[in-house]
Amino acid sequence: MGRWGQASACLLLAIQLVGCATPTGPTELFQLTPESTRARAMQTRLFETKDDTELLSASAAVLQDLGFQVEETAHDAGFLRATKERSAREYGQDITRALVAIVTIPLALFRSGPVILPVDLHQKIAAVLIARPVNPDSTRHEVRIMFYRVVWKGDGAAGESAIPPGMQSMEMLRDPVMYQQFFAKLSKAVFLEAFTL
Amino acid sequence: MPPGDLNDRRPRAVRAIALTLVGACLLASGCATPYEWRHDNQWDSRTQIWLAEESQVKLRAAQSRVFDTTDRGRAIEAIVATMQDLGFMVEVLDEELGIVSGKKFEPLERPSVGSDPFYHLYNDQSLLIFTKSYRTWGPFWHRSDLVRLTVTVRKRDESQLVIRASAQYYLRAVEDPIPYQKFFRTLEQALFLQAQSMHP
Amino acid sequence: MKTGAVWTGVVVVAGALLMPGCVAPRPTQDLLAPTEAQMKLRSIQTRTFEVKDRQLAMRGVIAALQDLGFIIERANEPLGLVTAARFAEPNYYDVVAVTVTVRQETAERLTIRANALYNNKPIDDPKVYQNFFATLERSLFITRQ
Repeated sequence: MGRWGQASACLLLAIQLVGCATPTGPTELFQLTPESTRARAMQTRLFETKDDTELLSASAAVLQDLGFQVEETAHDAGFLRATKERSAREYGQDITRALVAIVTIPLALFRSGPVILPVDLHQKIAAVLIARPVNPDSTRHEVRIMFYRVVWKGDGAAGESAIPPGMQSMEMLRDPVMYQQFFAKLSKAVFLEAFTL
Repeated sequence: MPPGDLNDRRPRAVRAIALTLVGACLLASGCATPYEWRHDNQWDSRTQIWLAEESQVKLRAAQSRVFDTTDRGRAIEAIVATMQDLGFMVEVLDEELGIVSGKKFEPLERPSVGSDPFYHLYNDQSLLIFTKSYRTWGPFWHRSDLVRLTVTVRKRDESQLVIRASAQYYLRAVEDPIPYQKFFRTLEQALFLQAQSMHP
Repeated sequence: MKTGAVWTGVVVVAGALLMPGCVAPRPTQDLLAPTEAQMKLRSIQTRTFEVKDRQLAMRGVIAALQDLGFIIERANEPLGLVTAARFAEPNYYDVVAVTVTVRQETAERLTIRANALYNNKPIDDPKVYQNFFATLERSLFITRQ
Protein backbone atom coordinates (compact mmCIF):
# COMPACT_ATOMS: atom_id res chain seq x y z
CA MET A 1 0.00 0.00 0.00
CA GLY A 2 1.34 3.41 -0.88
CA ARG A 3 1.42 6.47 1.36
CA TRP A 4 -1.99 7.63 0.14
CA GLY A 5 -3.47 4.20 0.70
CA GLN A 6 -2.27 4.16 4.31
CA ALA A 7 -3.48 7.70 4.91
CA SER A 8 -6.96 6.97 3.57
CA ALA A 9 -7.14 3.74 5.55
CA CYS A 10 -6.29 5.66 8.74
CA LEU A 11 -8.91 8.27 7.90
CA LEU A 12 -11.57 5.64 7.30
CA LEU A 13 -10.73 3.96 10.59
CA ALA A 14 -10.87 7.28 12.45
CA ILE A 15 -14.27 8.05 10.96
CA GLN A 16 -15.55 4.65 12.08
CA LEU A 17 -14.23 5.10 15.62
CA VAL A 18 -15.81 8.54 16.05
CA GLY A 19 -19.20 6.92 15.80
CA CYS A 20 -18.26 4.58 18.62
CA ALA A 21 -18.53 7.11 21.50
CA THR A 22 -20.39 5.24 24.23
CA PRO A 23 -23.85 6.64 24.77
CA THR A 24 -25.12 6.88 28.35
CA GLY A 25 -27.03 3.69 28.95
CA PRO A 26 -29.67 3.32 31.64
CA THR A 27 -27.27 1.82 34.18
CA GLU A 28 -24.98 4.86 33.99
CA LEU A 29 -27.74 7.36 34.54
CA PHE A 30 -28.18 8.96 37.95
CA GLN A 31 -24.62 8.22 38.88
CA LEU A 32 -22.27 10.91 40.05
CA THR A 33 -19.19 11.36 37.90
CA PRO A 34 -16.03 13.40 38.48
CA GLU A 35 -17.70 15.89 36.14
CA SER A 36 -20.53 16.33 38.64
CA THR A 37 -18.11 17.35 41.38
CA ARG A 38 -16.33 19.81 39.11
CA ALA A 39 -19.59 21.31 37.94
CA ARG A 40 -20.84 21.59 41.50
CA ALA A 41 -17.73 23.45 42.60
CA MET A 42 -18.05 25.83 39.71
CA GLN A 43 -21.73 26.52 40.25
CA THR A 44 -21.91 26.84 44.05
CA ARG A 45 -20.86 29.44 46.60
CA LEU A 46 -21.49 29.71 50.34
CA PHE A 47 -22.61 32.77 52.15
CA GLU A 48 -22.43 33.32 55.90
CA THR A 49 -25.90 34.67 56.38
CA LYS A 50 -29.19 33.67 57.93
CA ASP A 51 -31.18 35.63 55.39
CA ASP A 52 -31.90 33.50 52.33
CA THR A 53 -34.62 35.90 51.22
CA GLU A 54 -32.01 38.60 50.91
CA LEU A 55 -29.74 36.23 48.95
CA LEU A 56 -32.55 35.44 46.52
CA SER A 57 -33.57 39.06 46.19
CA ALA A 58 -29.97 40.11 45.56
CA SER A 59 -29.56 37.31 43.00
CA ALA A 60 -32.64 38.56 41.17
CA ALA A 61 -31.13 42.04 41.18
CA VAL A 62 -27.81 40.74 39.79
CA LEU A 63 -29.60 38.79 37.07
CA GLN A 64 -31.66 41.86 36.23
CA ASP A 65 -28.38 43.75 35.95
CA LEU A 66 -27.24 41.14 33.42
CA GLY A 67 -30.36 41.68 31.34
CA PHE A 68 -32.34 38.66 32.53
CA GLN A 69 -36.11 38.66 33.06
CA VAL A 70 -37.44 36.76 36.07
CA GLU A 71 -39.66 33.90 34.98
CA GLU A 72 -40.53 32.10 38.18
CA THR A 73 -39.87 32.33 41.88
CA ALA A 74 -40.68 29.99 44.73
CA HIS A 75 -39.11 31.70 47.71
CA ASP A 76 -40.14 29.01 50.20
CA ALA A 77 -38.01 26.57 48.27
CA GLY A 78 -35.32 29.15 47.61
CA PHE A 79 -35.88 28.82 43.86
CA LEU A 80 -35.48 31.45 41.17
CA ARG A 81 -35.52 31.14 37.38
CA ALA A 82 -34.68 33.93 34.97
CA THR A 83 -34.30 34.01 31.19
CA LYS A 84 -33.02 36.30 28.49
CA GLU A 85 -33.99 35.97 24.82
CA ARG A 86 -31.52 37.18 22.25
CA SER A 87 -30.53 36.74 18.66
CA ALA A 88 -28.39 33.66 17.98
CA ARG A 89 -27.40 34.51 14.43
CA GLU A 90 -23.73 34.00 13.57
CA TYR A 91 -21.64 35.21 10.64
CA GLY A 92 -19.93 31.84 10.36
CA GLN A 93 -23.24 30.09 9.79
CA ASP A 94 -24.28 32.61 7.15
CA ILE A 95 -21.06 32.01 5.25
CA THR A 96 -21.39 28.23 5.54
CA ARG A 97 -24.93 28.44 4.28
CA ALA A 98 -23.95 30.50 1.29
CA LEU A 99 -21.13 28.11 0.40
CA VAL A 100 -23.36 25.05 0.75
CA ALA A 101 -25.99 26.73 -1.38
CA ILE A 102 -23.46 27.46 -4.10
CA VAL A 103 -21.97 23.96 -3.97
CA THR A 104 -25.38 22.26 -4.16
CA ILE A 105 -26.64 24.30 -7.11
CA PRO A 106 -25.94 21.35 -9.46
CA LEU A 107 -28.50 19.34 -7.48
CA ALA A 108 -31.14 21.53 -9.11
CA LEU A 109 -30.95 19.09 -11.99
CA PHE A 110 -32.41 16.41 -9.73
CA ARG A 111 -35.03 18.77 -8.24
CA SER A 112 -33.13 18.57 -4.92
CA GLY A 113 -32.13 22.10 -5.70
CA PRO A 114 -29.65 24.24 -3.86
CA VAL A 115 -29.70 23.23 -0.20
CA ILE A 116 -30.29 26.22 2.07
CA LEU A 117 -29.30 25.22 5.58
CA PRO A 118 -31.35 26.55 8.48
CA VAL A 119 -29.25 28.79 10.73
CA ASP A 120 -29.54 29.55 14.44
CA LEU A 121 -31.79 32.55 14.92
CA HIS A 122 -33.18 32.76 18.41
CA GLN A 123 -31.70 31.77 21.74
CA LYS A 124 -33.10 31.72 25.21
CA ILE A 125 -30.42 31.92 27.89
CA ALA A 126 -31.74 30.69 31.21
CA ALA A 127 -30.40 30.81 34.76
CA VAL A 128 -31.79 28.56 37.48
CA LEU A 129 -30.79 29.36 41.03
CA ILE A 130 -31.37 27.63 44.38
CA ALA A 131 -30.48 29.03 47.79
CA ARG A 132 -30.57 26.60 50.68
CA PRO A 133 -29.25 26.34 54.24
CA VAL A 134 -26.29 24.01 54.79
CA ASN A 135 -26.17 23.82 58.55
CA PRO A 136 -28.89 22.98 61.08
CA ASP A 137 -29.29 26.52 62.46
CA SER A 138 -29.36 28.04 58.94
CA THR A 139 -26.55 30.49 59.56
CA ARG A 140 -24.88 29.49 56.35
CA HIS A 141 -26.54 29.28 52.95
CA GLU A 142 -25.37 27.86 49.69
CA VAL A 143 -26.31 29.42 46.37
CA ARG A 144 -26.12 27.21 43.30
CA ILE A 145 -26.77 28.56 39.84
CA MET A 146 -26.90 26.80 36.47
CA PHE A 147 -26.79 28.55 33.13
CA TYR A 148 -28.05 26.90 29.98
CA ARG A 149 -29.33 28.01 26.61
CA VAL A 150 -31.86 26.79 24.10
CA VAL A 151 -31.30 27.71 20.45
CA TRP A 152 -33.84 27.63 17.65
CA LYS A 153 -33.08 27.58 13.93
CA GLY A 154 -34.91 29.35 11.17
CA ASP A 155 -36.26 27.76 8.04
CA GLY A 156 -34.40 26.39 5.06
CA ALA A 157 -34.93 24.52 1.82
CA ALA A 158 -33.72 21.35 0.20
CA GLY A 159 -34.55 22.12 -3.39
CA GLU A 160 -38.29 22.17 -3.71
CA SER A 161 -39.13 20.90 -0.25
CA ALA A 162 -39.02 23.47 2.52
CA ILE A 163 -37.40 22.77 5.87
CA PRO A 164 -39.76 24.16 8.52
CA PRO A 165 -38.38 26.58 11.09
CA GLY A 166 -38.04 25.91 14.78
CA MET A 167 -35.50 23.12 15.08
CA GLN A 168 -34.18 23.46 18.58
CA SER A 169 -31.05 22.43 20.41
CA MET A 170 -29.91 22.97 23.95
CA GLU A 171 -26.56 23.55 25.55
CA MET A 172 -25.43 23.55 29.17
CA LEU A 173 -23.05 26.45 29.71
CA ARG A 174 -19.86 25.40 31.42
CA ASP A 175 -17.62 28.44 31.15
CA PRO A 176 -16.17 28.91 34.68
CA VAL A 177 -15.47 32.61 34.13
CA MET A 178 -19.21 33.24 33.73
CA TYR A 179 -19.96 31.72 37.13
CA GLN A 180 -17.07 33.54 38.80
CA GLN A 181 -18.32 36.85 37.50
CA PHE A 182 -21.86 36.14 38.63
CA PHE A 183 -20.78 35.35 42.17
CA ALA A 184 -18.47 38.37 42.29
CA LYS A 185 -21.46 40.54 41.47
CA LEU A 186 -23.67 38.70 43.93
CA SER A 187 -21.32 39.11 46.87
CA LYS A 188 -21.03 42.80 46.09
CA ALA A 189 -24.82 43.09 45.94
CA VAL A 190 -25.34 41.37 49.25
CA PHE A 191 -22.84 43.57 51.09
CA LEU A 192 -23.48 46.85 49.28
CA GLU A 193 -27.00 47.58 50.39
CA ALA A 194 -26.40 51.26 49.75
CA PHE A 195 -26.31 50.82 45.97
CA THR A 196 -23.34 53.18 45.49
CA LEU A 197 -22.97 52.98 41.71
CA MET B 1 -30.70 45.06 -30.30
CA PRO B 2 -27.91 43.71 -32.53
CA PRO B 3 -26.16 40.81 -30.79
CA GLY B 4 -22.80 42.44 -31.54
CA ASP B 5 -23.27 44.71 -28.48
CA LEU B 6 -22.75 41.83 -26.05
CA ASN B 7 -19.41 40.99 -27.57
CA ASP B 8 -18.02 44.44 -26.76
CA ARG B 9 -15.33 44.38 -24.09
CA ARG B 10 -16.60 47.13 -21.77
CA PRO B 11 -20.16 45.84 -21.19
CA ARG B 12 -18.70 42.36 -20.56
CA ALA B 13 -16.38 43.73 -17.86
CA VAL B 14 -19.27 45.67 -16.35
CA ARG B 15 -21.42 42.54 -16.34
CA ALA B 16 -18.66 40.58 -14.62
CA ILE B 17 -18.30 43.24 -11.91
CA ALA B 18 -22.06 43.38 -11.44
CA LEU B 19 -22.30 39.61 -11.04
CA THR B 20 -19.39 39.59 -8.59
CA LEU B 21 -21.04 42.30 -6.52
CA VAL B 22 -24.33 40.44 -6.44
CA GLY B 23 -22.49 37.22 -5.59
CA ALA B 24 -20.60 38.97 -2.78
CA CYS B 25 -23.84 40.40 -1.39
CA LEU B 26 -25.43 36.97 -1.44
CA LEU B 27 -22.42 35.37 0.21
CA ALA B 28 -22.35 37.96 2.95
CA SER B 29 -26.02 37.53 3.69
CA GLY B 30 -25.96 33.78 3.17
CA CYS B 31 -29.34 33.84 1.45
CA ALA B 32 -30.93 35.46 4.47
CA THR B 33 -34.61 36.35 4.54
CA PRO B 34 -35.82 39.72 5.84
CA TYR B 35 -36.90 37.98 9.05
CA GLU B 36 -33.32 36.86 9.58
CA TRP B 37 -31.95 40.29 8.76
CA ARG B 38 -33.88 41.61 11.73
CA HIS B 39 -31.79 39.45 14.04
CA ASP B 40 -28.45 40.84 15.24
CA ASN B 41 -25.49 39.11 13.67
CA GLN B 42 -22.27 38.35 15.51
CA TRP B 43 -19.29 36.06 15.31
CA ASP B 44 -20.11 34.11 18.45
CA SER B 45 -23.67 34.03 19.74
CA ARG B 46 -22.46 33.04 23.20
CA THR B 47 -21.28 36.61 23.77
CA GLN B 48 -24.96 37.46 24.32
CA ILE B 49 -24.84 35.53 27.56
CA TRP B 50 -22.80 38.17 29.27
CA LEU B 51 -23.97 41.73 29.23
CA ALA B 52 -22.66 43.60 26.22
CA GLU B 53 -23.85 47.11 26.95
CA GLU B 54 -21.25 49.85 26.80
CA SER B 55 -22.19 51.51 30.01
CA GLN B 56 -23.81 49.29 32.58
CA VAL B 57 -23.65 52.11 35.09
CA LYS B 58 -25.63 54.49 32.88
CA LEU B 59 -28.20 51.85 32.09
CA ARG B 60 -28.60 50.99 35.75
CA ALA B 61 -29.14 54.65 36.57
CA ALA B 62 -31.74 54.99 33.81
CA GLN B 63 -33.60 51.89 34.99
CA SER B 64 -33.60 52.63 38.73
CA ARG B 65 -35.38 55.15 40.91
CA VAL B 66 -35.28 55.81 44.65
CA PHE B 67 -38.53 56.30 46.58
CA ASP B 68 -38.88 57.73 50.11
CA THR B 69 -40.89 54.89 51.57
CA THR B 70 -40.32 51.55 53.21
CA ASP B 71 -43.76 50.15 52.44
CA ARG B 72 -42.78 47.43 49.99
CA GLY B 73 -46.30 45.98 49.81
CA ARG B 74 -47.72 49.29 48.67
CA ALA B 75 -44.93 49.72 46.14
CA ILE B 76 -45.64 46.30 44.68
CA GLU B 77 -49.37 47.01 44.46
CA ALA B 78 -48.62 50.22 42.60
CA ILE B 79 -46.26 48.38 40.24
CA VAL B 80 -48.91 45.75 39.49
CA ALA B 81 -51.49 48.47 38.83
CA THR B 82 -49.06 50.25 36.49
CA MET B 83 -48.31 47.06 34.61
CA GLN B 84 -52.01 46.41 34.21
CA ASP B 85 -52.38 49.93 32.83
CA LEU B 86 -49.67 49.13 30.31
CA GLY B 87 -51.39 45.93 29.25
CA PHE B 88 -48.79 43.56 30.66
CA MET B 89 -49.99 40.20 31.95
CA VAL B 90 -48.36 39.85 35.35
CA GLU B 91 -46.85 36.40 35.77
CA VAL B 92 -44.43 36.63 38.66
CA LEU B 93 -45.49 38.36 41.84
CA ASP B 94 -43.39 37.82 44.94
CA GLU B 95 -43.66 40.27 47.79
CA GLU B 96 -40.97 38.71 49.98
CA LEU B 97 -38.40 38.93 47.22
CA GLY B 98 -39.81 42.15 45.80
CA ILE B 99 -40.16 40.92 42.20
CA VAL B 100 -42.92 41.69 39.68
CA SER B 101 -42.59 40.38 36.15
CA GLY B 102 -44.95 40.34 33.20
CA LYS B 103 -45.16 39.90 29.47
CA LYS B 104 -46.98 41.28 26.51
CA PHE B 105 -47.09 40.45 22.82
CA GLU B 106 -46.53 43.19 20.29
CA PRO B 107 -47.58 41.86 16.85
CA LEU B 108 -44.32 42.57 15.04
CA GLU B 109 -43.79 39.44 13.00
CA ARG B 110 -45.61 37.60 10.30
CA PRO B 111 -44.20 34.67 8.29
CA SER B 112 -43.10 35.65 4.82
CA VAL B 113 -44.87 32.69 3.25
CA GLY B 114 -47.79 30.54 4.24
CA SER B 115 -50.65 31.09 6.62
CA ASP B 116 -50.07 31.89 10.23
CA PRO B 117 -52.07 30.18 12.97
CA PHE B 118 -52.16 32.93 15.51
CA TYR B 119 -50.29 31.51 18.49
CA HIS B 120 -50.78 33.91 21.35
CA LEU B 121 -50.52 31.67 24.38
CA TYR B 122 -46.83 31.44 23.54
CA ASN B 123 -45.48 29.59 26.52
CA ASP B 124 -41.78 29.45 25.98
CA GLN B 125 -41.29 26.96 28.77
CA SER B 126 -43.45 24.36 27.11
CA LEU B 127 -41.23 24.50 24.04
CA LEU B 128 -38.17 23.32 25.89
CA ILE B 129 -38.10 19.65 25.15
CA PHE B 130 -35.05 17.72 26.13
CA THR B 131 -34.08 16.25 22.80
CA LYS B 132 -31.14 17.08 20.61
CA SER B 133 -33.37 18.48 17.94
CA TYR B 134 -37.06 19.00 17.67
CA ARG B 135 -39.12 20.89 15.20
CA THR B 136 -41.90 23.11 16.34
CA TRP B 137 -44.25 24.89 13.98
CA GLY B 138 -46.46 27.82 14.51
CA PRO B 139 -45.26 29.96 17.34
CA PHE B 140 -41.84 30.32 15.79
CA TRP B 141 -42.51 33.56 13.95
CA HIS B 142 -43.89 35.12 17.10
CA ARG B 143 -41.03 34.38 19.45
CA SER B 144 -39.65 37.82 18.74
CA ASP B 145 -42.99 39.45 19.53
CA LEU B 146 -42.48 38.97 23.22
CA VAL B 147 -42.03 42.11 25.33
CA ARG B 148 -40.93 41.38 28.90
CA LEU B 149 -40.78 43.66 31.87
CA THR B 150 -39.28 42.83 35.26
CA VAL B 151 -39.46 45.23 38.18
CA THR B 152 -37.55 44.64 41.41
CA VAL B 153 -38.06 46.44 44.71
CA ARG B 154 -35.18 46.44 47.18
CA LYS B 155 -34.43 48.26 50.39
CA ARG B 156 -31.81 50.93 49.90
CA ASP B 157 -31.43 51.98 53.51
CA GLU B 158 -33.64 52.52 56.55
CA SER B 159 -35.94 54.99 54.84
CA GLN B 160 -35.76 54.33 51.12
CA LEU B 161 -36.56 51.76 48.48
CA VAL B 162 -34.94 51.29 45.08
CA ILE B 163 -37.23 50.24 42.26
CA ARG B 164 -35.57 48.98 39.10
CA ALA B 165 -37.41 48.21 35.88
CA SER B 166 -35.80 46.35 32.97
CA ALA B 167 -37.52 45.60 29.69
CA GLN B 168 -36.78 43.34 26.74
CA TYR B 169 -38.11 44.15 23.25
CA TYR B 170 -37.57 42.10 20.12
CA LEU B 171 -34.62 40.09 21.42
CA ARG B 172 -32.80 43.09 22.80
CA ALA B 173 -32.67 44.83 26.16
CA VAL B 174 -34.39 48.23 26.08
CA GLU B 175 -31.54 50.66 26.71
CA ASP B 176 -33.25 53.95 25.82
CA PRO B 177 -33.89 55.87 29.07
CA ILE B 178 -37.08 57.56 27.85
CA PRO B 179 -39.45 54.58 28.07
CA TYR B 180 -38.24 54.09 31.65
CA GLN B 181 -38.82 57.78 32.46
CA LYS B 182 -42.40 57.42 31.31
CA PHE B 183 -42.84 54.23 33.28
CA PHE B 184 -41.68 55.85 36.49
CA ARG B 185 -43.88 58.87 35.87
CA THR B 186 -46.90 56.56 35.76
CA LEU B 187 -45.63 54.70 38.82
CA GLU B 188 -45.22 57.96 40.76
CA GLN B 189 -48.87 58.73 40.17
CA ALA B 190 -49.89 55.31 41.41
CA LEU B 191 -47.70 55.64 44.50
CA PHE B 192 -48.34 59.35 45.19
CA LEU B 193 -44.64 59.72 45.75
CA GLN B 194 -41.85 61.49 43.99
CA ALA B 195 -39.26 59.31 42.27
CA GLN B 196 -35.66 60.33 42.71
CA SER B 197 -32.86 59.33 40.42
CA MET B 198 -30.03 57.16 41.61
CA HIS B 199 -27.47 59.91 41.13
CA PRO B 200 -28.46 62.72 43.53
CA MET C 1 -28.15 44.15 -22.52
CA LYS C 2 -27.27 47.80 -22.22
CA THR C 3 -24.74 48.92 -19.59
CA GLY C 4 -27.34 51.19 -18.03
CA ALA C 5 -29.75 48.31 -17.52
CA VAL C 6 -27.03 46.23 -15.87
CA TRP C 7 -26.16 48.97 -13.41
CA THR C 8 -29.83 49.55 -12.64
CA GLY C 9 -30.13 45.87 -11.93
CA VAL C 10 -27.15 45.98 -9.58
CA VAL C 11 -28.54 48.98 -7.72
CA VAL C 12 -31.94 47.34 -7.38
CA VAL C 13 -30.46 44.13 -5.99
CA ALA C 14 -28.11 45.94 -3.61
CA GLY C 15 -30.95 48.18 -2.47
CA ALA C 16 -33.22 45.21 -1.90
CA LEU C 17 -30.59 43.58 0.25
CA LEU C 18 -30.25 46.69 2.39
CA MET C 19 -33.97 47.48 2.76
CA PRO C 20 -34.99 49.03 6.08
CA GLY C 21 -37.47 46.18 6.63
CA CYS C 22 -34.39 44.14 7.35
CA VAL C 23 -33.57 45.93 10.58
CA ALA C 24 -34.94 44.90 13.97
CA PRO C 25 -37.88 47.06 15.05
CA ARG C 26 -36.91 49.61 17.70
CA PRO C 27 -38.90 50.09 20.88
CA THR C 28 -40.92 53.28 20.79
CA GLN C 29 -40.50 55.82 23.56
CA ASP C 30 -44.04 55.03 24.66
CA LEU C 31 -43.33 51.35 25.14
CA LEU C 32 -43.74 51.69 28.91
CA ALA C 33 -46.24 54.54 28.91
CA PRO C 34 -49.98 53.91 29.06
CA THR C 35 -51.85 55.03 25.97
CA GLU C 36 -55.12 56.99 25.95
CA ALA C 37 -56.98 53.84 25.06
CA GLN C 38 -55.49 51.96 28.00
CA MET C 39 -56.35 54.72 30.48
CA LYS C 40 -59.94 54.77 29.23
CA LEU C 41 -60.10 51.03 29.77
CA ARG C 42 -59.11 51.34 33.40
CA SER C 43 -62.47 52.68 34.53
CA ILE C 44 -64.50 49.96 32.84
CA GLN C 45 -62.14 47.28 34.09
CA THR C 46 -62.41 48.26 37.75
CA ARG C 47 -65.20 47.84 40.31
CA THR C 48 -65.39 48.46 44.01
CA PHE C 49 -67.09 46.00 46.32
CA GLU C 50 -68.23 46.30 49.92
CA VAL C 51 -66.37 43.25 51.11
CA LYS C 52 -64.14 43.06 54.15
CA ASP C 53 -62.42 39.77 53.52
CA ARG C 54 -59.94 39.71 50.65
CA GLN C 55 -59.52 35.98 50.82
CA LEU C 56 -63.28 35.58 50.39
CA ALA C 57 -63.21 37.87 47.40
CA MET C 58 -60.35 35.89 45.85
CA ARG C 59 -62.28 32.66 46.24
CA GLY C 60 -65.29 34.36 44.69
CA VAL C 61 -63.21 35.52 41.72
CA ILE C 62 -61.79 32.04 41.18
CA ALA C 63 -65.26 30.50 41.42
CA ALA C 64 -66.69 33.03 38.97
CA LEU C 65 -63.89 32.37 36.48
CA GLN C 66 -64.35 28.63 36.76
CA ASP C 67 -68.12 29.06 36.23
CA LEU C 68 -67.29 30.96 33.06
CA GLY C 69 -65.21 28.03 31.86
CA PHE C 70 -61.77 29.47 32.47
CA ILE C 71 -58.71 27.45 33.38
CA ILE C 72 -56.98 29.05 36.36
CA GLU C 73 -53.29 29.41 35.52
CA ARG C 74 -52.04 30.99 38.70
CA ALA C 75 -53.57 32.21 41.93
CA ASN C 76 -51.48 34.30 44.32
CA GLU C 77 -53.75 34.74 47.29
CA PRO C 78 -51.64 36.95 49.60
CA LEU C 79 -51.11 39.42 46.79
CA GLY C 80 -54.51 39.21 45.23
CA LEU C 81 -53.62 38.07 41.70
CA VAL C 82 -55.45 35.49 39.58
CA THR C 83 -54.61 34.63 35.97
CA ALA C 84 -56.88 32.46 33.85
CA ALA C 85 -57.42 31.56 30.20
CA ARG C 86 -59.84 29.69 27.97
CA PHE C 87 -60.50 29.02 24.30
CA ALA C 88 -63.06 31.31 22.71
CA GLU C 89 -65.21 28.28 22.04
CA PRO C 90 -66.46 26.98 19.63
CA ASN C 91 -63.47 28.58 17.95
CA TYR C 92 -60.38 26.74 19.19
CA TYR C 93 -57.97 29.06 17.44
CA ASP C 94 -58.72 32.04 19.64
CA VAL C 95 -57.97 32.42 23.28
CA VAL C 96 -59.32 34.70 25.99
CA ALA C 97 -56.96 35.41 28.88
CA VAL C 98 -57.78 37.43 31.97
CA THR C 99 -55.78 38.80 34.89
CA VAL C 100 -57.75 39.81 37.97
CA THR C 101 -56.29 41.77 40.88
CA VAL C 102 -58.02 42.27 44.21
CA ARG C 103 -56.88 45.19 46.34
CA GLN C 104 -58.05 46.13 49.79
CA GLU C 105 -58.73 49.87 49.58
CA THR C 106 -60.04 50.32 53.11
CA ALA C 107 -61.19 47.91 55.82
CA GLU C 108 -64.68 47.94 54.33
CA ARG C 109 -64.00 48.12 50.60
CA LEU C 110 -61.93 46.41 48.03
CA THR C 111 -61.24 47.08 44.36
CA ILE C 112 -61.29 44.38 41.74
CA ARG C 113 -59.70 44.99 38.36
CA ALA C 114 -59.98 42.57 35.43
CA ASN C 115 -57.68 42.83 32.40
CA ALA C 116 -59.07 40.73 29.58
CA LEU C 117 -57.24 39.88 26.39
CA TYR C 118 -58.57 38.36 23.19
CA ASN C 119 -55.59 36.89 21.34
CA ASN C 120 -53.14 39.48 22.74
CA LYS C 121 -55.44 42.42 22.09
CA PRO C 122 -57.01 43.99 25.16
CA ILE C 123 -60.79 43.70 25.13
CA ASP C 124 -62.29 47.19 25.17
CA ASP C 125 -65.99 46.35 25.01
CA PRO C 126 -67.58 47.51 28.31
CA LYS C 127 -70.35 44.90 27.98
CA VAL C 128 -67.80 42.11 28.41
CA TYR C 129 -66.58 43.55 31.70
CA GLN C 130 -70.16 44.20 32.87
CA ASN C 131 -70.93 40.52 32.22
CA PHE C 132 -67.89 39.45 34.18
CA PHE C 133 -68.71 41.61 37.18
CA ALA C 134 -72.34 40.47 37.10
CA THR C 135 -71.13 36.86 37.32
CA LEU C 136 -68.74 37.87 40.07
CA GLU C 137 -71.43 39.57 42.10
CA ARG C 138 -73.57 36.49 41.87
CA SER C 139 -70.58 34.50 43.03
CA LEU C 140 -70.01 36.87 45.95
CA PHE C 141 -73.72 37.19 46.79
CA ILE C 142 -73.51 40.93 47.19
CA THR C 143 -74.42 43.99 45.17
CA ARG C 144 -71.82 46.48 44.08
CA GLN C 145 -71.37 49.85 45.69
